[in-house]
Amino acid sequence: MIKVIVKRLLQAIPLLFFISIVSFLLIKLAPGDPVQSFVTPDMSQEDVERIRHNLGLDQPIYVQYVRWLINILSGDFGYSLISHRPVLTMIAERLPATFGLMGSSLLLSLLIAIPLGLYAAANKNGWFDRLISGISYVGISIPIFWFALLLIYLFSLKLNLLPSIGMRTIGVNSAWDVIKHGILPCLVLAFQNASVYLRYIRSNTISQLEEDYVQIQYAFGSTKREVLFHHILRNVLLPVITIFGLSIPNLIGGAFITETIFSWPGMGSLGVTSIFSFDYPVIMAITMFSSLMLVIGNLIADILYSIVDPRIRPKG
Amino acid sequence: MKKLLFLSVIFILVFGLVGCGNDQSANQNADDGNSNSTSNTTSEGGSSPKSGGSLIVAVSGDPDVMNPLYANDRVTLTIQQSLFAPLYRMNNGQKEYVLAESFTPSEDNLTYTLKLKDNLKWHDGEKITADDVIFTMESILDEKQNSSSRSNYIFKGKPLTMKKVDELTVQFILPQVSAAFEGILLDFYPIPKHVFENETDLSQSEKNQHPIGSGPFKFKEYKPGEYVMLERFDDYFAGKPYLDSIIYRIAKDPNAANIALQNGEINMRMVDPQDYQKLNDTGKFNMVTFPEGRLFFMAFNMNTEIMSKKEVRQAIAHALNKDEMIATAYISSEFADPAASVFTPDTLYQTNDVKTYEYDQAKAKELLAAAGVTGNEKIRIAYANNNKVATSLSLYTQQKLQEIGLTVELIALDPNAYSTKIFDKNAKDFEITFGGYIMGEEPDAYKSLFQSDADYNYARYKNPQLDALWEDAAVETDPAKRADLYKQIQQTIGEDVPYLPIAYPKAVIAVDKKFGGLEEAKPIPIAMFEDLSKIYVK
Repeated sequence: MIKVIVKRLLQAIPLLFFISIVSFLLIKLAPGDPVQSFVTPDMSQEDVERIRHNLGLDQPIYVQYVRWLINILSGDFGYSLISHRPVLTMIAERLPATFGLMGSSLLLSLLIAIPLGLYAAANKNGWFDRLISGISYVGISIPIFWFALLLIYLFSLKLNLLPSIGMRTIGVNSAWDVIKHGILPCLVLAFQNASVYLRYIRSNTISQLEEDYVQIQYAFGSTKREVLFHHILRNVLLPVITIFGLSIPNLIGGAFITETIFSWPGMGSLGVTSIFSFDYPVIMAITMFSSLMLVIGNLIADILYSIVDPRIRPKG
Repeated sequence: MKKLLFLSVIFILVFGLVGCGNDQSANQNADDGNSNSTSNTTSEGGSSPKSGGSLIVAVSGDPDVMNPLYANDRVTLTIQQSLFAPLYRMNNGQKEYVLAESFTPSEDNLTYTLKLKDNLKWHDGEKITADDVIFTMESILDEKQNSSSRSNYIFKGKPLTMKKVDELTVQFILPQVSAAFEGILLDFYPIPKHVFENETDLSQSEKNQHPIGSGPFKFKEYKPGEYVMLERFDDYFAGKPYLDSIIYRIAKDPNAANIALQNGEINMRMVDPQDYQKLNDTGKFNMVTFPEGRLFFMAFNMNTEIMSKKEVRQAIAHALNKDEMIATAYISSEFADPAASVFTPDTLYQTNDVKTYEYDQAKAKELLAAAGVTGNEKIRIAYANNNKVATSLSLYTQQKLQEIGLTVELIALDPNAYSTKIFDKNAKDFEITFGGYIMGEEPDAYKSLFQSDADYNYARYKNPQLDALWEDAAVETDPAKRADLYKQIQQTIGEDVPYLPIAYPKAVIAVDKKFGGLEEAKPIPIAMFEDLSKIYVK
């Protein structure tokens, strides 16, 4: 097992390298210029060029890339071009907010999607199945910013139950206050994720129900409930694990739109701000962390696979 | 304030935020007829100011760097307004001293003597002295420090020099006469020498995370992505502020922010004209409406053959109705005034005595015929697709120009592609675009838009006589002669119309009615209020 993990991690190195080149190129080739945040109308052209030179932005792209790469390899993620603060510090202070929000919404969506998906499949084409399928279609297709604003309008403005923006009430330092602020963004994310998961689980359950082993269990006199939760669930978890693995980078990368609308102080809103200001040290750091988490997430998924399904346990 | 950026203006969604307008009274209520909904006079209910309470101000993002040397963005400038104090401010053309006791030019206008008030304190209790002023200026001039203000203090390639006279007095010695110097120094906010002395890179200094300032409020706490909290500075020379604290809270989405405003999670926010009615109807807010010192204009790309003809530009000016344009882009004339001069009304020596082009389609057609335009030429209008004002005005202009027989094509671009295109001095692939700027009180700042080789000359307008006038006006110290030069400049531009001034939009700030002292705090462009120490809880 350890051998497999080491091998997979080594395989990830060229992948991460490739991702870094592509992202760097995309950022640099897109129109726009980080120096614009320094420029004011009454600055002379020489001063603009001097600042560009001081920041190393007048170098060819490959020189800038190699310089960035060497720094990264020695653990130096550099400074933001906009806030001039160390990139690692900026990311570290955003991580808890994003991790809390994304983790809780992931958990919530699995808690919703697994039982509902199983139950809907067991009653295929019944009224419950149709209702759940209908709602999940809405969840997948609804524009997230609209849904978020709708919830804010209802729960904050009309019912005055929950706060509309931010992560805490100024001057209040309690866990409950943070949770209250997190409910709406968590709901928005969970509704969308759960809708996607539910469709996977439902269709997978339906195909499992037609398998021979299910018929045999019925023949042995098992109830539908026993079959669903003891026998099918284990097999249905396989695609769920895949989805879970793919969601892990989101725990770090955050949710761009939802975090921005709720002014949630996480990585997503940091990412949006950095992209709009061409702050490439920050964008690159976020991209690399997310990519690394994607690799790790896939690895975790593979390990979980082998626990759930002995057939795909790696040999050696 | 001239630090403010068209850049922001151009690519940012924030566009609608602002207004312009022209009334000299800084704080004009939008609906005077309905005084109980919007008025904020000094006699509010007869309640006298009392101390205490806190104010939560919405800002649209994190501050860049809380250090005046690098403050260029709206959020940082807003926070800086309370955290740092300038040497003096300008109020209707009169200097109002803040940190300075006096600031006087010599006979030959080459030496300016600054005397600081005695017993001024930094927020950590240290005394503010001439050394701080000199340190700040030296840091700005230091090429390694990347301050965007540096160009302001370089005159024909030579930096100004300084001489310390005594603990509170500094002389600034200019290499040549600059009539704009007093105006330029409005943006000068001293930073403490004892804090930054040994830092190699001021922008990356850890010290910027807990800034030591000189303004009415001192730094308390910064939570990235959440808020910046300032608290009352008891030793402020002009007296203790009323409020205990000010919180600049980050609210990124304008719709969510408006709900937070109505819920009381935020007490003050600059809002769009579109949201005026809705917020005003709640009865919870004073809607402070005032000219933002902004001009919204149409620029003709004079690189193109057709736009290099003055008659064509004048014809287009006659073909457009500014009142209709304002109704199209700003909802109603409450939120913008029609513009005549390219200078905004808050700029020194602004005059409305310039050539204006009344709406007259017959005259427009006549001018086109005189210029030999047949109507087969295509007029391309380029605009950024996230700019609501430019988008609606492009559609309007298309319709109006078709009425006088021109063929118009609209080019909607993504904001970055758009800014690349308009900054390209050789661009010939569009004829018309729109833009806006806030240049502040000092007219010299405007030359970056009009001189032949200037970086922001969106019109690619080349006029050597005009270039010379700008240079003369910059060194003319006799106010009457200077006024005359700037009048000539505005009139020349009015005649040549490289830019067609459209509107001076107004800004609207919604402030929770429980706060008073808004008029004394004085609404200003960008930072919202000049002096939040005057605001109190009623």
